[in-house]
Amino acid sequence: MMVKSFNLVLSILIATSLVILQETLSNLFWLISVGMPVSIGIFFLTYFENLISMNLSGAIPLIALVAIGFLIAYSVARIILIWIRVSRSYAYALAGAVAILAIVLLMPLAFYNLDILAGGRSTLGKSILALFGLISGYFFGASLDKQRAT
Amino acid sequence: MIKKINIILLSLITSLFAFANNTDYKYQTLAENLSHPWGIAVIDKDNILFTELSGQLRIIENGVLNPEPIKGIPEVLFAGQGGLSGIILDPEFNSNKTIYLSFSSPDVGKKTNTLEVVRAKLSSGSIDQIETIFKASPSRRTAAHYGAKMAFLDDGTLLITSGDGFNYRESAQYLDNHYGKIIRINSDGSIPSDNPFFGNKDAMPEIWSYGHRNQQGIVVVDGIVYENEHGPMGGDELNIAEPSKNYGWPAITYGKDYSGATISPFTEKEGMEQPIKYWVPSIAPSGMTYYTGSLFPEWTNSLFISALVPGDVRRLEISGNIVSKEEILFNDLGRIRDVASSPDGSIILATDGQNGKLIRVTNK
Repeated sequence: MMVKSFNLVLSILIATSLVILQETLSNLFWLISVGMPVSIGIFFLTYFENLISMNLSGAIPLIALVAIGFLIAYSVARIILIWIRVSRSYAYALAGAVAILAIVLLMPLAFYNLDILAGGRSTLGKSILALFGLISGYFFGASLDKQRAT
Repeated sequence: MIKKINIILLSLITSLFAFANNTDYKYQTLAENLSHPWGIAVIDKDNILFTELSGQLRIIENGVLNPEPIKGIPEVLFAGQGGLSGIILDPEFNSNKTIYLSFSSPDVGKKTNTLEVVRAKLSSGSIDQIETIFKASPSRRTAAHYGAKMAFLDDGTLLITSGDGFNYRESAQYLDNHYGKIIRINSDGSIPSDNPFFGNKDAMPEIWSYGHRNQQGIVVVDGIVYENEHGPMGGDELNIAEPSKNYGWPAITYGKDYSGATISPFTEKEGMEQPIKYWVPSIAPSGMTYYTGSLFPEWTNSLFISALVPGDVRRLEISGNIVSKEEILFNDLGRIRDVASSPDGSIILATDGQNGKLIRVTNK
């Protein structure tokens, strides 16, 4: 139970960090495209600043949003796994992707179509975010598979 | 760099000296239970036109609110920050009764909308001869950041603020669209041939300046165009707008995104203009007026900016391009959506929200 909870928290942290990475990169890539002098140092500084500010000083703490999304999606995945025999890794990977996608798609409905996560405005951005959700969910599912095997 | 340091120091100094005033004044409620009052146009001391975001144009006649909204208003999209927004009188209003209205207009199918400006003749209880003189392009899916404020330059051309639409912020840096721009047109909608990008095939000819976010106030004082705009979280700005200039958004900004993310780590770049003042944290500037009245002599020749957060009016004294003093006024009324000067020297305020008020500030 302890290990499971730890892996759950870790998967939420992975997803949050990756979403922030995507947000950081999408902003910085655009800045580069208009000739702003973005260096590696600025990238790291901005990323670490975002890790703090997107979780502590944004309108909604990102980690809380991801945690809520993952808890709902993982719970649904667990129920489905009672009836359907698929690899936990794949089931939770799908749940992670759906959770992130739901956050990106549903948030604008609450804010007059405004995309609060700027990195999720484009289809490519949404796809990348869903991929990061998939990776985080896969990590959690794989950890469950590994735990069961041992 | 020195310019930036000067601005930071001045902002700090003016913030330190931003204090509640000692001037004696009183409030007189002109109208209440208003539905999101937004823009004010003072005809004379007893007659005031104002918009309600929900789509009504109202008039205070001889000091009393006419209970009937003015008829003939075009269809507006009332959603988010969208609705019937700005209003301005023609410089020759007394003889031609012409007014200009800005609003968010729904496109066919209503999935998208855009900023539209019309001119119309005001007659008794209605407007007619309505002509669309500007429509921002392209349309948007969002209902936010319209700008939608207007001011006349001394040459009779009309400036219109066109916001970045929130989701389209990067477009403010490109000249092939109207997001995040100040637009300059003639009062009949035609485009002045001396606009800075007129004849440039890669630019929209109506564009006068660019790199703006959500400009909520614009006034012209002795040929100088002052423009304020909402920053994101922090970074509200007061700029002196000039033709062809780039005001930097979102490549440079003093604010952060609502998610907490850094939009840009840069606050300055060569070729991009600096604000003459910025606010961190945000005050959410809304309307703006330049006070030339004599009812409050200590306030004469000051810029008044209404603010939504926490809700007050900022009186700014400006010397050259420098804000030398900031004073907080009327901070007991809640969020203030617009501020206007009346010819009798009183100040007209519109409080924000679905039970908004129109308030006159006079001396005791």
